[in-house]
Amino acid sequence: MSLVLTEHESKKLLAKYEIAVTKESIAKNADEAYAIASQIGTPVAMKISSPDISHKSDVGGVELNIPASEAKATYDKIISRIKKALPDAKIEGILVQQMAPPGHEIIVGLKKDAQFGHALMFGLGGIFVEVYKDVSFRVAPIGIKEALDMISEIKGYPILKGIRGRKPADIDAIARVLVSVSEMAQKENIIELDINPLIAGETGAIAVDARAMIEE
Amino acid sequence: MLSSIFEPASIAVVGASNNETKWGGMILKNLRSGYKGAVYAVNPMEKEVQGLTSYHSILDIPEDVEMAITAIPAQLVLEVVDECGKKGVKGLVVLTAGFSETGKSGGELEKQLVSLVRKYGMRMIGPNTLGIVNEPFNLNASVIGKLPRPGHISFITQSGTLGLAIADWTIDMGIGMCKIISTGNKADTDDVDLIKYLDNDSSTGVIAMYIEGINRGKLFLETARRIKKPIVAIKTGRSKRGQKAVFSHTGSIAGSDEIYSAAFKQAGILRVDTIDEVFDAALAFTCQPLPRGNNVAIISNGGGASIVAADECERQGLNIVDLTPETRDKIKAVIPEFASSSNPVDTAGTVSFKIYTESIKALLRDPNVDALIVIYVHTQMSNAIPPAEAVVEIKQKCTKPVIACWMGGSGTEQGVDILKSGCLPNYSVPERAVKALAALVKHRDFLAKTKTDDAMPENLGG
Repeated sequence: MSLVLTEHESKKLLAKYEIAVTKESIAKNADEAYAIASQIGTPVAMKISSPDISHKSDVGGVELNIPASEAKATYDKIISRIKKALPDAKIEGILVQQMAPPGHEIIVGLKKDAQFGHALMFGLGGIFVEVYKDVSFRVAPIGIKEALDMISEIKGYPILKGIRGRKPADIDAIARVLVSVSEMAQKENIIELDINPLIAGETGAIAVDARAMIEE
Repeated sequence: MLSSIFEPASIAVVGASNNETKWGGMILKNLRSGYKGAVYAVNPMEKEVQGLTSYHSILDIPEDVEMAITAIPAQLVLEVVDECGKKGVKGLVVLTAGFSETGKSGGELEKQLVSLVRKYGMRMIGPNTLGIVNEPFNLNASVIGKLPRPGHISFITQSGTLGLAIADWTIDMGIGMCKIISTGNKADTDDVDLIKYLDNDSSTGVIAMYIEGINRGKLFLETARRIKKPIVAIKTGRSKRGQKAVFSHTGSIAGSDEIYSAAFKQAGILRVDTIDEVFDAALAFTCQPLPRGNNVAIISNGGGASIVAADECERQGLNIVDLTPETRDKIKAVIPEFASSSNPVDTAGTVSFKIYTESIKALLRDPNVDALIVIYVHTQMSNAIPPAEAVVEIKQKCTKPVIACWMGGSGTEQGVDILKSGCLPNYSVPERAVKALAALVKHRDFLAKTKTDDAMPENLGG
């Protein structure tokens, strides 16, 4: 049997393998949303949390850059929108999370393969993965050198090194994420996983969104 | 032991036939055309087969039998294999079809066959194989018409008919082969066993493979990775995408083909796209040393051909290196004034033994150059023989790879024969020559990397 984890659950799994994730908590009501947003201290992203909704922004389940003072109202707004659009969806609450820091958008993925076990994928996120499929693959497990090779293999690698005044990405941090994902592949019985995006700044890389499907 | 299949002291053909168009007749004939060991025929319906006593059962053969080939209907295979086990046979080549390739009941029969084979500690190729060839042992236990020319390429093929066609083609092309193995259904002996065996086989220099699917994927990768001999493979099914309804981006992009490519790369298996490329690369491995790096020099009597080669080098990640001033001076001394002494060297249409000899010597002595591509383009004013003689002579004393491309029709034939006699396979167009060289470079990179790398740790787990 396969089980789909919510974004929050997926990130808890990542955190277990020392992958940095956004500061976040699930608010069950508007007051909690305010409390969490205040604690994070900077404008937040608010996302519907429901096992029935995987494409959250398609149904109006995402609001970005919300200051704590507007968290309560935003909570109510999202909930009522979802109840209207998807009356049968089970709602766990709203994920209140730190806004993504600036940096390069990256996708890191995992897929269980019948022949070779787990395959890891790395690429530039956003339109790069959607349109150009500029990605590289390895069969897990991999070590740090292989992870670095995997990163340098894509066509967009110079972008990560920083071109035309853009800041470079912390490539070692991305490589460590790849190694961690490789490690969790087998231990957690993962069928499929996307970290999309992983945001890599000049120092560090942080998982901003993630979705995982595991084998129970 | 697979040696009982590839180097048996004696062989019985069960289902041997007087009719040489039938499998049991063809295989007996092929065996006896070269094989030096004892051959026995088993067929309860005959007294004599192709001049040999025909035994009622393998158990009736008075001498020991090391290997048995079965060319009998599927429903008789279990009984015959049981008798082989009792007889003390060590190796089996089961030509018989009608097993897992036909569906569920055939699959069931195959399972019973495998457990029987293992009960007696035998090894089996097949079922549903077209047999095996071991040229150094003069063994043709297959339905391939004749033994290939001697060589160091061993070819494992999952498609029997493709193996057949390629075997004939290698003979026509003058490509030497060591072993040809049609794996059939891989019920007992599979790719893992075979690459291990070929790795330890001193007459095999390079392993070529035609793969449709791998049974023990992880173990295959681990095994391949430890093998230092080059493995060149064509894996079909590139066009197949991953599943349609997908949960993740990764799931939609990572089709099985992409994963195969990644896995092969990690294991140091050179994946190529075409059958030509398999043998182009394999031949380069059997005739050439590995280069130290990817710095390439090109010499040609025609600018066009060298530009085509240089472009392909670019695509393959090979570097057209700058020559040292000393090298350029030496080349300038022999080529016409208007010709180019920079890489790619262009003799501007002039061809002579001296020009090619002196230029090639200078290029190979250049410390910047790791490998050389020598191109000759045939014209009515030039002769293909002197440059071929030049390159063969220098090749004998040189430790850098030299790849030859003699372009043109019948006018180049004598030159090409001279090249071949010096173990310089000719590539008919520059792109093929460059790709073959790129295979050498990739393998060298893989070997350099595995010494230090953690690409695939020992503890693979799972």
